[in-house]
Amino acid sequence: MTGRPLVDVANVSRTFGRGPSAVVAVHGVTCVLDRGDLIALTGPSGSGKSTLLHLIAGLDLPTTGTVTWPGIGTRAELRPGPVAVVFQAPSLLPPLDVIENVALPLVLQGLGRRFAREAADDALIRLGLGELRHKLPEELSGGQAQRVAAARVLAGRPQLILADEPTGQLDHVNGTLVIDALLDAARHLGAAMIVNTHDRTIADRFPVQWSMTSGRLVHCAVASC
Amino acid sequence: MLRSRHPRSIRLATTWLPALVRRRTGNIVATVCGVALAVALLASLGSFLSASKATMTRRAIDTVAVDWQVQAQPGADVAAVTAQVAAARHTAASEPVQFGATTGFRSSTGGSTRTTGPGEVVGISDTYRATFPAQLRNLIGSSTGVLLFQQTAANLAVAPGDSIVVERSGLPPATVTVDGIVDIPQADSLFQVVGAPSGAQPQAPPDNVLIVPTSVWHGLFDQLDPSHADQIHDQVHVRLDRHLSGDPSAAYTTVTGQARNLEATLAGTGLVGDNIGAALSAARSDALYAQVLFLFLGTPGAVLAGLLTAAVAASARDRRRRDQALLRTRGATVRQLVGLSVAEAVLVGAAGAALGLALAQVVGHLAFGTGRFGATTASAIGWSAAAALVGVAIGVVSIAVPAGRDARALNVVAARRTVGRAGDPRWMRFGLDIVLLAVALIIFWLTSRNGYQLVLAVEGVPGISVSYWAFAGPALLWLGAGLLAYRLTNLLLSRGRTLLALGLRPLTGGMADTIAASMHRQRRLIARGVAIVALTVGFAASTAVFNATYQQQAEVDAVLSNGADVTVTTSPGASLSPTSDTAARIAATPGVQHVEPLQHRFAYVGADLQDLYGVRTSTVVAAGRLQNAYFQGGTATQLIATLAARPDSLLVSAETVHDFQLLPGDAVTLRLQDSGTKRYVDVPFHYVGVAKEFPTAPHDSFLLANADYITQMTGSDAVGAFLVDTGSDTSAVAAALRTQLGTTATVADIGTTRAIVGSSLTAVDLDGLTKVELGFALALAAAATGLTLWLGLVERRRTLGIAAALGANRRQLAGFVWAEAGAVTVLGLVLGGIGAWALANMLAKVLIGVFDPPPDALAVPWPYLATVLAVAVAASALAAASATRSARATGAESLRTP
Ligand SMILES: Nc1ncnc2c1ncn2[C@@H]1O[C@H](COP(=O)(O)OP(=O)(O)OP(=O)(O)O)[C@@H](O)[C@H]1O
Ligand SMILES: [Mg+2]
Repeated sequence: MTGRPLVDVANVSRTFGRGPSAVVAVHGVTCVLDRGDLIALTGPSGSGKSTLLHLIAGLDLPTTGTVTWPGIGTRAELRPGPVAVVFQAPSLLPPLDVIENVALPLVLQGLGRRFAREAADDALIRLGLGELRHKLPEELSGGQAQRVAAARVLAGRPQLILADEPTGQLDHVNGTLVIDALLDAARHLGAAMIVNTHDRTIADRFPVQWSMTSGRLVHCAVASC
Repeated sequence: MLRSRHPRSIRLATTWLPALVRRRTGNIVATVCGVALAVALLASLGSFLSASKATMTRRAIDTVAVDWQVQAQPGADVAAVTAQVAAARHTAASEPVQFGATTGFRSSTGGSTRTTGPGEVVGISDTYRATFPAQLRNLIGSSTGVLLFQQTAANLAVAPGDSIVVERSGLPPATVTVDGIVDIPQADSLFQVVGAPSGAQPQAPPDNVLIVPTSVWHGLFDQLDPSHADQIHDQVHVRLDRHLSGDPSAAYTTVTGQARNLEATLAGTGLVGDNIGAALSAARSDALYAQVLFLFLGTPGAVLAGLLTAAVAASARDRRRRDQALLRTRGATVRQLVGLSVAEAVLVGAAGAALGLALAQVVGHLAFGTGRFGATTASAIGWSAAAALVGVAIGVVSIAVPAGRDARALNVVAARRTVGRAGDPRWMRFGLDIVLLAVALIIFWLTSRNGYQLVLAVEGVPGISVSYWAFAGPALLWLGAGLLAYRLTNLLLSRGRTLLALGLRPLTGGMADTIAASMHRQRRLIARGVAIVALTVGFAASTAVFNATYQQQAEVDAVLSNGADVTVTTSPGASLSPTSDTAARIAATPGVQHVEPLQHRFAYVGADLQDLYGVRTSTVVAAGRLQNAYFQGGTATQLIATLAARPDSLLVSAETVHDFQLLPGDAVTLRLQDSGTKRYVDVPFHYVGVAKEFPTAPHDSFLLANADYITQMTGSDAVGAFLVDTGSDTSAVAAALRTQLGTTATVADIGTTRAIVGSSLTAVDLDGLTKVELGFALALAAAATGLTLWLGLVERRRTLGIAAALGANRRQLAGFVWAEAGAVTVLGLVLGGIGAWALANMLAKVLIGVFDPPPDALAVPWPYLATVLAVAVAASALAAASATRSARATGAESLRTP
C-alpha cells in the first residue's frame, strides 16, 4: 500500500486507576495500520485487547504515547464515517427497526434519508439480510443481530472497522456467518479491519494475526505464532 | 418468604440486599423518595385534619356563653330541679335564673313619656355574671344592680340613674332605678323557647329586656296571680366541665348524650336548652367538610406519589430481571426470589416511611410551627402509623408485585414489551378511560342536581353523613383524564408518526425521521410519562384553583358578615341621616375611600318581623361588593337596577317566597314604623326577586328595598350602617373611626370579623394547609417530569451510548433526548391543563357547599400555575441535559458490560 497509514500507534500505554491498584491495560504498544489490513487480535482475557481497540477507535485516550490517524484526520473526524465499531454485546438501537439501524451511521453523517435507506438496503441485501429489513432488534437472534451490525458497518462505508469480539456470544455456525459478513464488508470497501477474538478458527481466517499478553502487543505475520 | 426454615433465603437476603442497594443506589433512592412523598403528604394532611377539627370544636364551644339552659317545667319544684342540675355529673357551675314577662316599660325623662312594647324581666344572682361572663356586656354605668338592655334604653331614652316603670299583667306598675346599660350578645339563646320542636321557626329575642338581681325579681313577680303563672318561668343555667373530644362530631354526641341523661334524671321536671350542642352541631358539618377536603386533596396526592414510585420501580425492572436471572442460574428458587423482592420492597417502604415522617415533621414546623400540626399526640401518632403503613404498601405493590410476577414468568423476555409491537394495553382495548369519564359525568350529573347535598345533617338525628358518592365524580374524571392522555399520546405517536417527523424536522434536521421512528416504538413509555405528568398537573392545578377559589370566597364571606372593610353601625335610637355630620366625618376620615349608607329597619311581613335593608341603588352593587350568588332571579346588577327603575320593588328571602307563595310582580304589603307617629303603617311593595345574602344581613331571612322609597314612605332617612371601603390599612381606619365616633356607633373591621366568624370553615386556618398542599403538588410536578424522565433516560443510557459510539454528536444525541422529553412535558402539561380545568370546575360544583357563598367564577392562581409550569419544564430540562451528558460520557463505556 502507498500513501499515509490509516492509524499510527506510537509507544502507547493506558493505565487504569492510580497507586498500588493501578492496572496497566496497554503497555508501550507501537503499530501501524494500512488500508486493506485484515487483522485478528488474540490474547488471554484481560490482556488489553479491548482497551487497545478503543484507543485505536478514539473512544479512549492513552495515558502516555500517541495515537494518530494520518490517513483519516483528527480524532473528532473519526465517527460517524471513517471508523466503524462493532461490539461484543448487541449494539442495535432497540427502538429502531433493522433498516433504520443500518441507516443510522449515514443519517448521523447528515446524508439524505432516501440515500441512507437505499445504502442500508444495499448493505442488507449484500449480506443476505434483506428479509430482516423491518424486524425490530428484539425480534432477532444474537447471530442475526451481529450480522445486522456488520451490515451497518458496510452501509457506513468506513475506512477502518474495529470489532471487539463480535462473535463472543454466538455459537460457531453463527460466529462464522458474522465473520464472513464482516470480511465481505471490509473487502468490498477496501477497508482495514481489526477483530478481537478468542476463537482460533476465526483468527485463522485472517491473513494477519496479532496477539497480546499483559498489555504488550506481539506482531505475527503468520497464523502459527 | 424469609422464614427460619429457609436459612438459604436469609443468607440470600443478607448478602444480596446490600449488594442490590449498592448496584442500584440511584433507583432505590428515587423509590424511597417516592414513598416518602406519599407518607409525608398523608401524615401532614392527616395531622392537620385532626388539628383543625380540634380548632373547630374549641371555636364552637368558645362562642357559647351558657352551655345549657335547663328550664323547669310548669308545676315542677324549682328548688329540686336546681339542686339536681347542680349535682349532675358534668355540671361545673350552675345558676338559677328567673324570667318574667312585662307588658311594657315606661319612662318619663325631659318632660316626655315613652313606652315600649312587651318585654322580659330576667332575675340573676350576684354570682351569675362571674359564672357566665360572656352573657352580658357592660356598656354604661354599673355592672351590678338593675341593668337595662341597650335597645330598650335607646327606646326609652334613659341613662343610668333614671327610673323606669315596669308594667305587669294583673299587677300595678312598679318603678325601678336603672344602674347600668348592657348588651346581650347572645340574646337569641338566652330567650330561646326551650323544648321547642326542632325545625320550628326561631323566635326573635325581645327588644325590651330588664335584668335585675334575684331579690328584685321576686319583689316584682312573687305577687303574680296564679292565673298569670304562664308569665313567669325558671331556668338553671349550666356551665359544663367540657371534657370533650377534639372531634366536633364526637363532642356533639357526648354533649347531647349528657343532656338526655340529665333530662332523664329530671324525669320530666326540666328540659335542656342545649346551646353547646347547637354550636357543636354546626361545627360538625364543618368538620366533615374539612374531612372532605382532606379526601379530595390528600388522596390523589398519595395516589400520585404511589404511581410515581411504581414508575420509578418499573424503570429498574430490566436490571432487576437480570439480577433474578443471575440468581436463578445460581440455584435460587422462585420462592426465594419472591421473598427477596418482598424484602426489598419492605426495606424501601420502611425507609421511605421513616424519611416521609421526618419530612412531615419539617413541613409541620415550616407551615404550622409544630410537627404535630396542633393535633393531640395520640392522633399524630395514629396518623403517622397509618401513613407509614401506606408507604410500606406502596413499596410492596410497586416493587414486590411486579418482581414476583417476573420471577414466576417462564419466558422472561416476553414479560416486558415497552418497546416494539406489543398490542395496546388491555384497558385501552376495553375503553376504560372512556368508561371512567362517562361514569364520572353521570355521577356528576346526579350529584350536582339541585337539592343534592354533599353533607347530610338530618334535623333531630345526631348522626351526620357525607355523600361519598359525590367524590367518585371528580376522582373518576381525574383517572379517566390520565388514561385518556395515555390514549391520545399513543394515538399521536402511532398514527401521527409522519406528522411528528414533520414537526421535529425544524428542530432536529435530518434526524427527524429516525427520532420519530424511535418515539413511535417507545410510545407506550412516552404515553405513560405523559399520563403521569398529566395526572400531576391536573392534581396540582385543580388543587390550586380550588384553594384560590376557596380563599376568594372566604374573603367574600368575611365581607358579607362584616358588610365591608369597615362597618359603622349606628347605635339604636340614634337617627343618623346620610347627610348628617357624622356621615361627613366618616367620609373625611383619612384612608376612607367610599362610604355607603345602608338603611336598616324592621318590617312585619304578615306576623313575621324581618330585617329590612334600604339600599342606595346607584352605588350599592360596587360598594357592597354584591355577588351574583347572593341573588336569584337575576344578577346583582339587574336586580338592583330593577329596584331603581321601580322604587317599590322588593327582594325577599326564598323562605318568604315559599311561605307566601309569591310570584314575581305580586304585591307585598310590609308594616313599617312611621318616624313621626312611631306607629306601624302599611307600605305597598312589589316582589321582584330573591335575596339570599346581603352584607350585614342575617343568613335566614331579610328584605331588600330602595332606600329612597323607604325614606319617602316612613318619613325618615335614618341610616343603620355605613359600609366603609378602605384602602390597605383597614385596622388603622377602623381605629380612627372608633375614636372619632365614640359611643354613637359601633365600628367593626373585617380582620376581626374574619377571626370571629366561627361557625364556618372559613374560620379554619387553611393557610398552612394550602401551603403544604401546594408545596407537595409542586414537588410532585417536579418529580413527575424530572424524575420519571431522567430514570427513563438512564435506563436507555445504553441506547444513547450506542448512538454516541456510532458517532452521534452532541446535537444529535440531544435531539433524541429532547424530542422525547419535550413530548412528555408538553403533552403532559397541555393535556393535564385541560384536565385540570375540567376537574376544577367539577370540584367547585361538587363542593359547592364548602363555599359560602358559592362563587361566581373560579379564582385562578396564575403565579402558582406559572411556577408549576416553570418547575415542570426546568425539571425535564435538567433531566434531559443530564441524560445527554451522561450518554456522551459513557458512550463506549456502557458497551463494555452487556
Ligand atoms: N474502565 C476500566 N477501569 C479499570 N480497569 C479496566 C477498565 N477497562 C479495562 N480495565 C482493566 O484493564 C485490563 C485489560 O482489560 P481489557 O478489557 O482490555 O482486556 P481484554 O483483553 O479485552 O479481555 P477479554 O478478553 O476478557 O475481553 C484488565 O485487567 C481490566 O480489568
Ligand atoms: Mg475484551
